Amino acid sequence: MNSLKRKQPPVFAVEKVVIPEAGFVKLNNGVPVFCIEAGTEDIMRLEFVFRAGQVKEPLPLVSSSTNMMLTEGSQNYSSEELNRLLDFYGVFQNSSASKDNGGVVFFFLNKHIEKVLELSREILFRPVFPEEELRSLMNKRLQWYLVNREKVQNIATDNFFQSVFGKDHPYGRNVAEVDFEAINTALVTDFHSKHYTSENMTIIISGRIHEKTTELLNTYFGEPISKKTDTAGPVKNLRGETGKKLHTDKPGAVQSAIRIGSPTINKRHPDYPALKILDSVLGGYFGSRLMKNIREEKGYTYGISSSVSSLDLSGFKLISTEVGQKNLQKSIDEIYKEIRLLQNVPVGKEEMKVVRNYMSGEMVRMFDGPFALAESFKAVWEFGLDNSYYHTLAEKIKTIEPDEITEIARTYYNIDDLYEITVGSE
Amino acid sequence: MINFDQFTLDNGLRVLVHEDKSTPLVAMNILYNVGSRDEDPDSTGLAHLFEHLMFGGSVNIPDYDKPLQMVGGENNAFTSNDITNYYLTIPSENIETGFWLESDRMLELDFSQKNLDTQKNVVIEEFNQRYLNQPYGDALLKIRPLAYKVHPYRWPTIGMDISHVENTSLDKIKKFFFSHYAPNNAILSLTGNIGYDLAGRLTRKWFGPIEKREVQARNLPPEPDQNEERTTTIEKDLPSDALYKAWHIGPRKGSDFFTLDLITDLLAGGESGRLNTKLVREKKLFSDINAYITSDIDPGLIFIQGKLMKNINFQQAEEAVNEVIMSLTDKNGIKDEMEKVKNKFESSTVFSNTSILNKAVNLAYNELLGNAENINLEVDAYRRITQDMVVEAIRRYFVPSNCSTLYYKSTRKDK
Repeated sequence: MNSLKRKQPPVFAVEKVVIPEAGFVKLNNGVPVFCIEAGTEDIMRLEFVFRAGQVKEPLPLVSSSTNMMLTEGSQNYSSEELNRLLDFYGVFQNSSASKDNGGVVFFFLNKHIEKVLELSREILFRPVFPEEELRSLMNKRLQWYLVNREKVQNIATDNFFQSVFGKDHPYGRNVAEVDFEAINTALVTDFHSKHYTSENMTIIISGRIHEKTTELLNTYFGEPISKKTDTAGPVKNLRGETGKKLHTDKPGAVQSAIRIGSPTINKRHPDYPALKILDSVLGGYFGSRLMKNIREEKGYTYGISSSVSSLDLSGFKLISTEVGQKNLQKSIDEIYKEIRLLQNVPVGKEEMKVVRNYMSGEMVRMFDGPFALAESFKAVWEFGLDNSYYHTLAEKIKTIEPDEITEIARTYYNIDDLYEITVGSE
Repeated sequence: MINFDQFTLDNGLRVLVHEDKSTPLVAMNILYNVGSRDEDPDSTGLAHLFEHLMFGGSVNIPDYDKPLQMVGGENNAFTSNDITNYYLTIPSENIETGFWLESDRMLELDFSQKNLDTQKNVVIEEFNQRYLNQPYGDALLKIRPLAYKVHPYRWPTIGMDISHVENTSLDKIKKFFFSHYAPNNAILSLTGNIGYDLAGRLTRKWFGPIEKREVQARNLPPEPDQNEERTTTIEKDLPSDALYKAWHIGPRKGSDFFTLDLITDLLAGGESGRLNTKLVREKKLFSDINAYITSDIDPGLIFIQGKLMKNINFQQAEEAVNEVIMSLTDKNGIKDEMEKVKNKFESSTVFSNTSILNKAVNLAYNELLGNAENINLEVDAYRRITQDMVVEAIRRYFVPSNCSTLYYKSTRKDK
């Protein structure tokens, strides 16, 4: 047996990225429901999405506070009862408000579906927003905020968005201590009545879908729509700050945080798949150039990454890391050096192959199992796109040429356009 | 129910295989029976530093990550007090590459000084990022040596002092490898789109030729009973006070492990846990509070930790915590909540098992504890816990002389 030659086994191209189409039904009142049948267990992921993100809020914290207050008491249940019942039926519930959307996801065993639907209707459509619960939530949130402001990475990310999207736009503006006091039940109730409406709702279900599932959804969510939805478009005055460099002093910080990036195209743009591939090469995976150079060669950091993200009104690319103070400038210089390299020297054959195959593997993971499938579906649906985005991306991963990556780096990574945000002790 | 096949190679490597055709991926997990408890007190942090070195190339393969990325794979690892665990997921057609990579680094690492020097820096930055540069990040570093005086659990996996990592040498690293990394000190689990026959054939082909090694015997000093209350205080310029309390409990394989786990669920499982309901929502003493057990193999700890609201002092906070704990000794009062946390445990087990990676990690870990089959018995074990068992465990463990407390005091004026 010792004669085994430890030669690399053959490498098979990852071809079989199966992207199933979601089923579609409408409830009696027209609410769209997307259905993704997958997995081996009798479970369900049930997501309610509303266009109720930060972009719609009149003041900071309104969208997230409204979202968090949904479980703080309804017409038929107190907050304590709601939380106890969700736990009693083994439900995992995840409420969130992002820059564009707000909503709730429930994970549960199908045997409890009726109870979950009844409770979710209470949570989404019958909340009462008690004054005392709201004050208590805002006091807690203020404490969490103060702790988070101690972290260089949080300050840096907040400053990044403010620089990139401007302090007058909900995508950009920073939260301040006084904002926590400004939130009151009138604001929350108003935001809820305008944005958490049936007309404004989409349902995404995945897991094991039974014959009766749609019927049950109709029973709890199919009633005729009565509320008026706010159809006003979002504020569009996205305007970044003129100064590209911003340093914030954080005395005593052991590491400095770096955020470098700028606004960019989003998923709706035809260059987006190529930009995603460029991003992978730069800092999108463990074998990326930034990771190899700044962590694996120089040991300046525990981790560095880059990402490209889409928003409804824009998109952004962002390089993030935390490094020792003494390596701050050296790390920034290396980041720019890596960007310039990508603009001037075509990616070699071997590296192209690694990136193509790694990204193909990632695509397999993106469509593996009911939870990943639902998230991938939502990630295109919210931009008005469908699976053709993924088919285009998969094709681009296979066929992109090094010259195109160079071209994309020149078009979208103009160094003069990049914001450079740092936080640390001077 | 997770069905699996198991066998042991002649060199002592234990193997577990669970086939799940619903996924195009395979998860491969290798658990090495070595953790920070196996370190020399003068040279701590070695097990975790070693985890980093495992990605720096092996005897026949100069770079671990690249060939894995080349076949669409992804990997990571973690180190605990007890184990070092490596895992990867890979599209099934390329699973043999996983065998090639993992067996080569079990065979022998490429011990390079350059890699060691770089990874020392990376680990120091990890230490800075996780512990020093986070508010309250050093709390657990401080409370361990308060609770443990003798047992190696007194230091964290990152190391008792970061100078231990800075000062380690290539010789120490080599010795560590050959005394802990061995087929007879590891458990391999494979889950997902792989049949039993293929798994068996590839395991024998790639891991079979690795010879058995002399594994350093484990002979750890047991922690003596704690007989007096222990406290310590840290003062820092932070937004609020924080309270950390830890009580000694039994080992992972002890008869009351699940009872203690259930107690932490009564206290802090979900939004409706008692600590949150009483102390955050009703009395508004804390902005957040949590309870958990460390699940260590040797006798571990049960923790309660939380951040105090403005104008609340430690005495009020502590009395209220103790009151909530003692409220669980009202046997009839906890009946409904017992049913609730049991349901939640069952549901969380089902959800955990939707991931092939979780299944692979849990199979290997249960095998290390004595029997992989226990993965299928956990829900029953948890369901069998009675109110009397809860009351008995509360009375046994939550006594002041068994407790270590860290007061994390804010020096900020307007806190």
